[in-house]
Amino acid sequence: MRAGPAEVVPTEYYVALSALVFAIGAVGVLTRRSAIMIFLSVELMLNAANLALVAYARQWAAAGTLVGITGQTAVFIILAVAAAEVAVGLGILVAIFRRRVSTDVDTLAEVRL
Amino acid sequence: MITFAVLAVVMVVGALGVVLLRQPVHAALSLVGTLLTLAVVFVTLQAHFLAAIQVIVYGGAIMVLFLFVIMLLNLKEEATKTRAAYRWVAYGVGVIAAAAIAVGALLDPRQAPDALAVSEALRGGSPELIAEVLFGEFMLAFQLVGVLLLTGMVGAVALVQRHNEPPRPGTPLADASRRDARGTR
Repeated sequence: MRAGPAEVVPTEYYVALSALVFAIGAVGVLTRRSAIMIFLSVELMLNAANLALVAYARQWAAAGTLVGITGQTAVFIILAVAAAEVAVGLGILVAIFRRRVSTDVDTLAEVRL
Repeated sequence: MITFAVLAVVMVVGALGVVLLRQPVHAALSLVGTLLTLAVVFVTLQAHFLAAIQVIVYGGAIMVLFLFVIMLLNLKEEATKTRAAYRWVAYGVGVIAAAAIAVGALLDPRQAPDALAVSEALRGGSPELIAEVLFGEFMLAFQLVGVLLLTGMVGAVALVQRHNEPPRPGTPLADASRRDARGTR
C-alpha cells in the first residue's frame, strides 16, 4: 500500500466505488417512474463510468505509457456528449409534458417501434 | 486512504439520495453533491483539469438545466411514485451486482501505482497534455463532438418550439400560455 512518500490508494478501490455508484444508478433507473428521475439516475451511471476511466488512466500512467492521458481525454469527450444528451433529453421531456401532463414512463405505452 | 474513505462515503450517500429521495429537487441537489465529490476524487487521481471541468460543466451547466426543468414542469406529486412491483427485484439486482463487482475488484490486489511515476506521466492531468492528445489522436472525435453539440442545440430548440396548435386545455403549460397571451395583450 505504501509506495513512495505519499500513500497511494490502489486502483481497485476506485473501481469498486465506481461499480457501487453505477449499481445504485441502475437501481434508480429500474425503480423510478418519472422520466426525469430516471434521467438523473442515468447521469449517476455516466459519472461512475467516468470515475472508472480516470482510475484506469492513473494505473496506465504508472506503467509509463501515454495511455493514461488518453483516458482522461476520453472523459473530456464524454462530458461534452453528456451535455448534448442532457439538452436533447430535457427538450424531449418538456415536449412530452406539454402534450400530456405527466412524465410517467409507464403511461408512454404508444411510444414504440 | 482516509481521504478516499471519506470521499467514498459522501459519494455513496449522495448516490443513494438520488435514488431514494422523494422530492425531485432534493434528488437533483443530492446529485450535485455527488458530482462535486467526484470532482474531488478526480483531484486525488491526478486529473486536475478534469476536476475543474467537472465542476463547471456538470455541477454548473447540466445541473442548472436539470433544476430549471424540474421547477418548470412542477412534477411534485407523480415523481414520488416508484414501481412497487419491481422495487425489491431492482434492489436485489443492484446489491448483487455491486457486491459482485466490488468483491471481484478487491479480490484481485495489485501493487498500488507508484506516486512518482504517476505524477511524472500525468503531470497532474495538465491542460497542455490533454490538448496534445485531444488535437492529435482524438481529432476526429473532437470534430464529431462539435457536430453533435450543434445537432443537439438544433434538436433542443426544435423540440421545445411552440407550434400553432394550442396545447391541450387543462395542462399547466396551456394555462401558462393563456396567461402569457393575456399578459402581452
